[in-house]
Amino acid sequence: MTMRELEKKLRKLDYHQARLYLFCNFISLMLITAYSVMMQSSTVQEVFPEGGDSRKQVMAIFVLTIVGCAAFTVYATALFFRKKSRQIGILMALGSSKKQLAPMLYREILVLGILSSVCGIVTGFPFVMLIWNGFRMLIVDSEEMVLNIRAVGLVIPAVFLVLVLMLACLSAKRYLARTDILDTIQEEHRNEPVKELGKWCGPVGIVILLVGAIAGYEAPGISMRYLNFVPPWWLSLLYTPVFIGLYMILLHTVVHGWHFRRKTFDRDLVSRSMMKFQGKQTINNLLVSTVLIAGACFGIFYVPMLSAGSIKDISTRPYDYLYHYRADQNVPGKAEVETMASGYGLSLKDWHDASYITLGMDGMHMIEEGSRIRYEYRELLHEGKFFSETGFRELTGVSITVEPGTYLAVSDDEERMGYMLAVSSTLLTNMDTRDTLDIGFAGYAHFGMLTDENGFYVLNDADFAEIAEGISGEWSGRAALFNADGEDDYQFAKELFYELIQSSDESCELPSYYNRVYKIAENEAGRTYWGDTMAISEIHYDDPDSSEFRRFWTYMPRFRMLDKNDFIRTYAVFLMMFLFIFLICTTAGCVICYTRCQTIALNNRYVFDDLRKLGAPPAFLKQEVKRQCCTVIRTPSVIGIFSMTFLYTLIMFANDGRLTIDEIMGLSACGVVIVGIGLLLYVVYRKTVKALVKELGIEG
Amino acid sequence: MLQVKNLYQSYETAKTRYPVLKGVSFHVNQGEFAAVMGASGSGKSTLLNCISCYIPYEKGEILLGGQNLGGLDQEGLAKVRNEKLGFVFQDFMLLDGLTVKENILIPRIIRGSADKEALEYAEKLMELFGISHIKDKYPADISGGERQRTAVARSLINNPLLLLADEPTGNLDSKASRTVIEAFEKAKQEMKSTILMVTHDSFSASFCDRVILVRDGVIYKELKRVGGQSSFQGYLLDMIKEMSGGEEE
Repeated sequence: MTMRELEKKLRKLDYHQARLYLFCNFISLMLITAYSVMMQSSTVQEVFPEGGDSRKQVMAIFVLTIVGCAAFTVYATALFFRKKSRQIGILMALGSSKKQLAPMLYREILVLGILSSVCGIVTGFPFVMLIWNGFRMLIVDSEEMVLNIRAVGLVIPAVFLVLVLMLACLSAKRYLARTDILDTIQEEHRNEPVKELGKWCGPVGIVILLVGAIAGYEAPGISMRYLNFVPPWWLSLLYTPVFIGLYMILLHTVVHGWHFRRKTFDRDLVSRSMMKFQGKQTINNLLVSTVLIAGACFGIFYVPMLSAGSIKDISTRPYDYLYHYRADQNVPGKAEVETMASGYGLSLKDWHDASYITLGMDGMHMIEEGSRIRYEYRELLHEGKFFSETGFRELTGVSITVEPGTYLAVSDDEERMGYMLAVSSTLLTNMDTRDTLDIGFAGYAHFGMLTDENGFYVLNDADFAEIAEGISGEWSGRAALFNADGEDDYQFAKELFYELIQSSDESCELPSYYNRVYKIAENEAGRTYWGDTMAISEIHYDDPDSSEFRRFWTYMPRFRMLDKNDFIRTYAVFLMMFLFIFLICTTAGCVICYTRCQTIALNNRYVFDDLRKLGAPPAFLKQEVKRQCCTVIRTPSVIGIFSMTFLYTLIMFANDGRLTIDEIMGLSACGVVIVGIGLLLYVVYRKTVKALVKELGIEG
Repeated sequence: MLQVKNLYQSYETAKTRYPVLKGVSFHVNQGEFAAVMGASGSGKSTLLNCISCYIPYEKGEILLGGQNLGGLDQEGLAKVRNEKLGFVFQDFMLLDGLTVKENILIPRIIRGSADKEALEYAEKLMELFGISHIKDKYPADISGGERQRTAVARSLINNPLLLLADEPTGNLDSKASRTVIEAFEKAKQEMKSTILMVTHDSFSASFCDRVILVRDGVIYKELKRVGGQSSFQGYLLDMIKEMSGGEEE
């Protein structure tokens, strides 16, 4: 028998010991591959535009997932070597030199690492296809939801694989560099007690966490608004107290536990002491799984928050149909629409229409100069659509009075869209004649259907007549509102929508954030307008059902039947991506909790043996397992879910300093989702307890 | 065979240094079966770990077969451990994935390879210690006594100059302890092995030719066996009582 043969023989045993290492590597590479492939697919790349907030959020979660996967890979590697250390120590004690052990150890760890990682990467593809196609099959399918797998999606998993192997080799090197053989042999049973803090650390941790969350969230705004500084990257470091606070809360949980009644002091003494002596790893693991569960909530909360707002918006509209168009376009009017409706056996009622003009509005333009923010007055900054008082009343039926020399911005009843409207303009410009009108903001007119990114405004009739003098069809338009008499028809809504597109020429093929007024100002100043250079501003008539077109076409009509039926379709990629984030983060979080429970229980197998010898019945031992699993799973779940609920509420509140009805509806729907997540985690808890009870031989 | 001269060693815990060995000197002759006894914390295990080259020592000299172990590098120490020393540990330290026979052969495999001659020698050792019938079994499937006898056989496979045993009967019942001590006696008698055993068990120590009593990091007394095993055990117990200041150990 040679050293090579001995190595082969030992490896058989190691494969058994390495199950957790193989599993963790496999899972992390599978999740990272799936996420990366999904992220790099052309569909997601197009729907989540570069530089957009949604892309940043998705990327942030991706980074979070990578960190989480890295954490449990590091942990699994350490655990593998701890199990392996006895073997290494015995061989060293019997005279094996490091030169003899090194190739054996490196060969083994590389084989295990490559095997599990490659399997994970390969499985990542069917995994992402399963989720993608499952979503298409079970929830919604659209033409744009074609999964295009690109090779670039493999870059991050490949880098991660290299990191996994490097980490394994570094751990092997570290073990080989040890000179204390006895320490190496005893490594597996070595405790890692954490440095304890007093009982104050939990409550103080909660305060620090909240302070960090608020400071991190508010700091960029304060920097821009009050200090005129572009928020530097390091401002994100203000979120650091969140993690410090989280660590302290977890430390308190592991070391002291949360006891609100003195009677229960000794209840979980055994299970907590087990965790306490594995403290460092336990807290690190709980920290990572907390962050992952928070990430999962972030993903899944998006769905009810988006849906609740949209459902409320669609269902509370006072009219079934609203469309507006440029006056120089040959768009169907009342007669044509009625004819089209009759083709579907539909008659119309409550028809109202009115003209508006599009004017240039002045304002303070924010300019970034290095790290400084400078505000500069621009006469032509915003594009606004203006009705006269009479026009607004004819269209909406809402009578308002606008004082001469003032304007009102149109918003919904709760004035949620206020932050998107120009509410500080002092000068309006007729873009054809360049005549101007001095003006001042006088408040809001309320009609939710007329809120959009460019904004509708209302002028005094006389002011309107004065500034509209000589305006062309290109800078004026018409809006129409009507209801279906009887049951509405989706096909009619769809045909009318397509007809609006067909009757608009290519000069109207613009996204809502394309500002014609500012473009002219920039061109006149010899500069190129940003919207003419970036692909972000392109939408296409030949792709009218795409999410991009439906969400951003500047003349996108609001048809209740169309919006209601196509809501999921329009937001399909978003919904799927956030659902995917939820799945990935939940899986990673659950894997960490499961492995942590396994490790604590199995490393403390002797404690269970001792308790058994002291006469502890199976029911008592099972209870100890349950308590330990409960703490490991419940703690990150409660903190993760609570943190994300708090963050969502904070964001909603910070938008306009209050919670609107649809935001409350959305948060309530999140509550239902939380119940679902709770049930899922309970199932994981039950399965973990069952597995541990079996492994520890507590029953039978 | 083994000479330990003026050995010093200390441990540092919480920034305080505690001396464990304070100038220990003794020798073990070729073919001798010697034991080191002492209370917990007396320094007996540290002494054995220094001789085993598992931990470095601060001052003094350890000569094994005339070779000073102090100046050796890691490679040199590994070679000494493999070729000149044999080890028997309290908790056996057998590799779970290998059979009894394979475990016995490990030191030989580390040295080069287990050839036919090595296999024959392993068979001889197994026969000598009464474990031939379990040679293809795994450690998990055999008794504590059998495991420790396997460890004794393993320690002798490379014909070491010195066999070091750290509390070899510490995890065994009296019957199994007896079989292990018998294995040491056989090794001494039939293979002319030199054995140094650390133990707190006066029964095991009473089989030795000489017992070195250690107290607070220094040698308290060296006792040579005169007469039968049971009278030597009685003498040992008296000396231990004296060493402990009249209290029972």
